[in-house]
This record gives sequence, C-alpha cells and structure tokens, in this order.
Amino acid sequence: MIRNRWLILLFRLILGGVFIWAGALKIVDPLGFAQSIKNYQVVSQSLAFLAAIWLPWVEVLSGAFLILGFFKRSAALLISLMLIGFIGLVALALLRGIDTSCGCFGSFSRRADLSLILGDAVLLYFALKVFFSGRPARPVDLARKQG
Amino acid sequence: MRTVGDAKFGLTGQGLVGGILAIVILSLILGVAVNFPLLRRFASGEFRASFLDARKYTGIRFITLAETEDLFARKRQGAAELLFIDSRSRQDYAAGHIPGALSLPLDTVQGSGLLDFPGIQTLVIYCEGGDCQTSLSLAKILHDRGYYDIRIFEGGWEEWRAVGLPEEKWP
Repeated sequence: MIRNRWLILLFRLILGGVFIWAGALKIVDPLGFAQSIKNYQVVSQSLAFLAAIWLPWVEVLSGAFLILGFFKRSAALLISLMLIGFIGLVALALLRGIDTSCGCFGSFSRRADLSLILGDAVLLYFALKVFFSGRPARPVDLARKQG
Repeated sequence: MRTVGDAKFGLTGQGLVGGILAIVILSLILGVAVNFPLLRRFASGEFRASFLDARKYTGIRFITLAETEDLFARKRQGAAELLFIDSRSRQDYAAGHIPGALSLPLDTVQGSGLLDFPGIQTLVIYCEGGDCQTSLSLAKILHDRGYYDIRIFEGGWEEWRAVGLPEEKWP
C-alpha cells in the first residue's frame, strides 16, 4: 500500500512535469502550435487557432494541479482525455500518411510515428493509475477495511 | 487512509466535474488574456489563410505557378543565386521533382545545424501541394537562420506536374 502511494506520487510528478513543459513550449509560440494542429488536417483554420490559444493552458494547469494535489482526479482525467486525443490524432495521421511533426514539444517536435503513440500510451497508463487511485472510498470499502 | 478533507479536493464525483470545469475555464481565461493582441489580429481577419506571422516572417511570401515558372526559367538561364528546395520525403523526391531542386525533407532539417547555401539569396520552396505544410515549416526554419527572400510555391508538386512542366527523377 505504501509502495503504491509512492508510485502514484511518482506518476503525478512525471505526468505533471511533462504536461507543464509541453504546455509552456506551446504557450510561447501559439501560432507555431496552431500550425502544428493544422498539419494534422482534422480541424479548420479557426478551430486550430482557438485550440492553440486554449489547449496549452489546459495542459499546464492540469500538470500543475496534478503535482500540487488540487483536483488531482480532475487533472488526471483531463490529461487522460488529452492523451487519448493525441494518440487518436497521431494514429489518424499515420493511417492517412500525413507527413507531420507531432507539435507536442514546440520546435523540439519530432515526427509523429509509432514510438510517439507508445510514449503517449505509457503516460496514459500513469494518468489512469492516478485517476483510479484517488477514487472516493465507498462505504463498502470502508466496511471491509474495518471488518 | 482517506480523510473527510479529501472530499474538498476533488475526490467526490461532484468535485471531479467541478475540478474539470475549474481547469478548463481558468485555462480559457488565461489563454485569452495572454493572447489578447493575437486574438484581436485574428478577429480583424489575419491568420485566416495561414498561421504565418507576417510581421515576424517578413521575408516569406507565397507565389503562384506563373511566378514559379518565371523563377525556374531564370534558374535555367544560369541564375546562381536561386535555389529550388523540395521539402517532401526522399521517396517522393526520388519519384519526381522540379529539375535542379535540392531535396530537404523537413524532418531531416529539424535540429540540424547544417543549413548553409553559399551564394544563394533566393529560396523557392515547395511540397506536395494542396494542404501540405512542410514547405511553410521549412521556410520558417530557414528564415530563422537568416534567409530573408523565401518564396513558397503553394501549388506545389501537384500543380507543377498537372500542367506538364519539366520533371526530373532521382538523382
């Protein structure tokens, strides 16, 4: 149980760090990120622009909240949803044969490929672990513990 | 090991939704506040065709097929300061490209320090055409490296080929 708690803390720190870093790089260059979104050829120009202004802050705040312990589960859930979205986008780009850099870390971006999906999948595992570890105790569980 | 206090910090179902709303709304406020000048430019019609910041990338402009043909003719007549660059993949380049173009796939350029073209002043960059974006991304990188006369041929390889202009296969 103790080990698990430390593990969850580690997951929170890693995830939070990655998301703060990734978000901050996009906040510095919103137009560059808008271009990256557009490269995936899924959303319109205007939607890409608005997402580029909004999404990086969701990443940074989710990451920060996850580390600080405010709304941990909400942050973990949002991060999971974002990761599912990223995995979907990259998979779609691969299937359609779109040549693009992933745009995940600003100008440090690498090409969207299978290893990127695997990396995101590992992060998704961390996020889901954090999400489910913080589930509120149900009366049944408490009764079991006491019994 | 859970305490009553946890309920306040998003561990209940209600807190979960509240937390999500808090993050999402706060993000929106911060995003709008920080990017207010950019949003105003967007509202006034900028960035509708491309996300190129024309105030930052003053040396990049988009050209038509006719202008590209013109530059191509000048190149053929020996204009040594002109360089055509193909930003598509090596395979695409090998299958056919504008004669004399240099193959410079975007992903080989990112993070590479070797981007010097001695004696070259004008760069003409193209990719597949249609929605392709690699020519623009490459143009930005080269602009950052000090090339201030970059023309992007928007029609790209598709348009070049469609009108039956000369093409060259590997090498």
